[in-house]
Amino acid sequence: MTDMKHTDMEEINIATDVLVLGGGLTGIKAASEIAGSGYKVILVEKDAELGSQKGPESLVGLKEELEALQDLESKITADSNVEILTQASLVSAAGVTGDFTVRLSKGKEVIEHKVGAIVVATDFATAALHENYGLSPADNVLAQSQMAELLASEAGKGKLANKTVAFLVGLAQDGNPLVMERVLKSVLALQEIDGCVAYIYAGDLKVASDGLERMYMESREKGAVYFKLTEKPEIVENGKTISFFDSVARRNIEISPDVIVVEEELRADDLNEEIAEILRINVGPSGFLQSDNAHFFPVRSNREGIFVAGSTREISGLPSAWTDVENIAVEVKDLLGDGKKSVAKNKAVVNEDKCVICLTCYRCCPHGAIYWGDKKAIISPVACQGCGICASECPMDAIQIGGFNDEEITEKVKSGVVSGNGTPRLLAFCCQNSAFEAGEMADMFNMQLPEGLRMIKVPCAGKIDLDYILNAFVSGADGILVMACYPGNCKSENGNTFAQWRVNDAYRMMEEVGLEKDRLCFVGTASNMGSGFSSIVVDMEKRINELGLSPLK
Amino acid sequence: MSTKNKKVMVVGGGIAGLTAAWELSRFNIDVELIEKTPFLGGYAIQYCCKATDECRQCGACTVEAMLKNVVDEPKIKVHLSTEVEKINNSGRISVDLKKSSYRPDSATEGVIRGYSKNNSPLHVIVDKEKCEENPDAVPEGAVELDTMGFSGKLDVDAVILASGFQPFDAEQKGTYGYKKFPNVVTGMDLERIIRENATVVRPSDGKTAQKIAFIQCVGSRDESLGNLWCSQVCCPYALRMAETIKHKNADAEISVFYMDIQNVGKDYAGFYEKCKTDFRFVRNIPVDVFPMENDSLSMRYMNEEDGLCINEEFDLLVLSVGITPGPDNSDLSGIFDVGLNEDGFFAGMDKLNSTSTLKGGIFLAGTVAGPKDIAASMAHAGQAASEVIKHLGVS
Repeated sequence: MTDMKHTDMEEINIATDVLVLGGGLTGIKAASEIAGSGYKVILVEKDAELGSQKGPESLVGLKEELEALQDLESKITADSNVEILTQASLVSAAGVTGDFTVRLSKGKEVIEHKVGAIVVATDFATAALHENYGLSPADNVLAQSQMAELLASEAGKGKLANKTVAFLVGLAQDGNPLVMERVLKSVLALQEIDGCVAYIYAGDLKVASDGLERMYMESREKGAVYFKLTEKPEIVENGKTISFFDSVARRNIEISPDVIVVEEELRADDLNEEIAEILRINVGPSGFLQSDNAHFFPVRSNREGIFVAGSTREISGLPSAWTDVENIAVEVKDLLGDGKKSVAKNKAVVNEDKCVICLTCYRCCPHGAIYWGDKKAIISPVACQGCGICASECPMDAIQIGGFNDEEITEKVKSGVVSGNGTPRLLAFCCQNSAFEAGEMADMFNMQLPEGLRMIKVPCAGKIDLDYILNAFVSGADGILVMACYPGNCKSENGNTFAQWRVNDAYRMMEEVGLEKDRLCFVGTASNMGSGFSSIVVDMEKRINELGLSPLK
Repeated sequence: MSTKNKKVMVVGGGIAGLTAAWELSRFNIDVELIEKTPFLGGYAIQYCCKATDECRQCGACTVEAMLKNVVDEPKIKVHLSTEVEKINNSGRISVDLKKSSYRPDSATEGVIRGYSKNNSPLHVIVDKEKCEENPDAVPEGAVELDTMGFSGKLDVDAVILASGFQPFDAEQKGTYGYKKFPNVVTGMDLERIIRENATVVRPSDGKTAQKIAFIQCVGSRDESLGNLWCSQVCCPYALRMAETIKHKNADAEISVFYMDIQNVGKDYAGFYEKCKTDFRFVRNIPVDVFPMENDSLSMRYMNEEDGLCINEEFDLLVLSVGITPGPDNSDLSGIFDVGLNEDGFFAGMDKLNSTSTLKGGIFLAGTVAGPKDIAASMAHAGQAASEVIKHLGVS
């Protein structure tokens, strides 16, 4: 976190070898780039050969891809900095960034290796959606991959001469631009074959990727007919005829194609789940290995030193996978450097006298930055992001966060409860990533703010102890705001959730002592919304004015 | 190789330029960041947060964070109100800079303000005379635009072009009545309205808009304009803002007129399902807009089910304007001798190496090379930084 100023630094040695999981195009590119930066790379592929995961279907129409693959493969095979392990897989991974111990199995052998960073570069898997259209695979009913394969060879193309081909896309799934691109490439390739006619039955045309609108227009100009539908057409006798009612022309349109091509779903690699479990990284929507969190885009995971590339994190064509790999190359270089790393000594400090190794911190750390030794939990200064969730969850209060220790915050709570000429005394605990920024913005932009409001900056809402809230009430606060990032926007994944739980605990205690619930408010904010901050705190002041000043003071 | 003397110029201080500059500074490279307007942040810094009760991953807050990174980074030297005049690209790249001719087009007041608290200066005096009439209204620390800008020569080892895009000028689609009817706004206007007010109000009377229509693909995928690209950002911003509006005002009736809905975020399926229950989707792009009483707007469109035409009234009309090539692309293309593609964006080396150009030492980042959202612009800038680092041999 760039905001924290650490003066007490120490230099540590870290491992600089890098593990790349996945020997598809993305993994090969990652290995090549990282080795190019001077690091030793271990490239692990489950299959017997590199680059085999993507069949010819992804290569149709993009010669660069094929050339890129061949170039890179020969480059990394010749690179003494790249060790290639095929038919191999990851068994376990212990430790933290700069000091991971990974175990890899190849046949009966298990190889142990120290690495500083790990790159996950699995590919997407395809699944044809015949059933969704009431179709079964047959000579005239092909999956998109099969069509692409035919188009990749002269013999295959010969079989398609003078054929009428119907494509079904976007009617059995939402799809995405890559699904669309594969269809458009096939349509354009078919149009090069004598006598071929293409009909495309489509839901939404997913053209939100460079060049797709032009491909779509080109195919139309060359005679492809697109029927844009909101529901699947009627298909009889396993694709013998396709028909639908055209509401504008007010008539039924029926076609008898020679070949029908069924769209494919592109989904997360089956290996992802297992890899996520071993690496302790979070799984996002649809089984892809990255939480849906804007702060992690493009290539970060919830754990420092573990990066996700291309279709590991979302459906990606090669151009975006390339972009990911270049970003990872920069991240790896910045992280590992020359193997010596300057780290802050006081980022998160565990008091050996208080720690009972209960492992609460290990379990709650969203960054997987904590492990343990003989006498106490150990927080890696490289992996730690300084959020302070562990410090607030620790039942022994054994952890202190640099710049945000409990004493300092308690002092700020006391001095922050100030009388504003009889106006309510409001205390806002503000995450430094969102609410604190928004509050400063509201102030600088002269937006309306209550006179008796004071902000207390915390590294993450997850650092807001229940004690802070209770102390603030005892010190005479009339109203308290716990201002976190919105769900899904916490840089520490679930710091806001921890804060919400603690607020709920506080509500229960407030009820017991008869303090009105409305005096405490948990709310999401964004760093760029000074106006939002202003309206939240102004509303809070209104509510407190209705309740009157705190009975505790 | 030592990085001590390496210096890179980044042209453009929007999200791509900020990201590229910051990535380079992490490797001890000196960066000269050139921005033609008086503020860093470009368009992306003007966008609102689109969270409902949860984050919708629009990325607007990450722009704020990146701007903060840049202004706090001593290795990055920022030149505001400055533009490139010419270069000499033989050996080291020698760049002549001049004070920018950029003037805000609609400064009704004497002073304009940046969109972020991290803008420095925060206030810029664009009309001295107006300010002299009412000197008390001039904020402390305001700087005169005329005094800003850098003229002179800088020698650098590489240049990243990150001069961004231009939102489509909705006045070109005259039948929508943009700038004629007060309650016809663009997506860009709506971003600013929400950013400033934390809620959506009608420009004509400041009242909450109840019946709202979004028209997609304004300036994108439009053969009549020759704009044969999808802008990739309009479905996401429109649907996210529509959800924000609906979250604040459950009674709002929102219609989305569209050709094809493009995916929004990583969890598209779930998000789109919610949108379908919250809004009405009409697969037709209306053409004509007529003013009604109370500054409401009437639109004529075709109903997909029966092919019949319908007239309907709305309180507020949002034109989802797309991304078009930056206004300076042809000038910069000439200065740097890097070609544009058929759409007018800068052409990268090839599809896979889209941040490199055919000109050694000149790189591209962000929407200068084609439509991108915030996340994609940042990723592209990271890729550009990576290519520059390789080019410079920095280790």
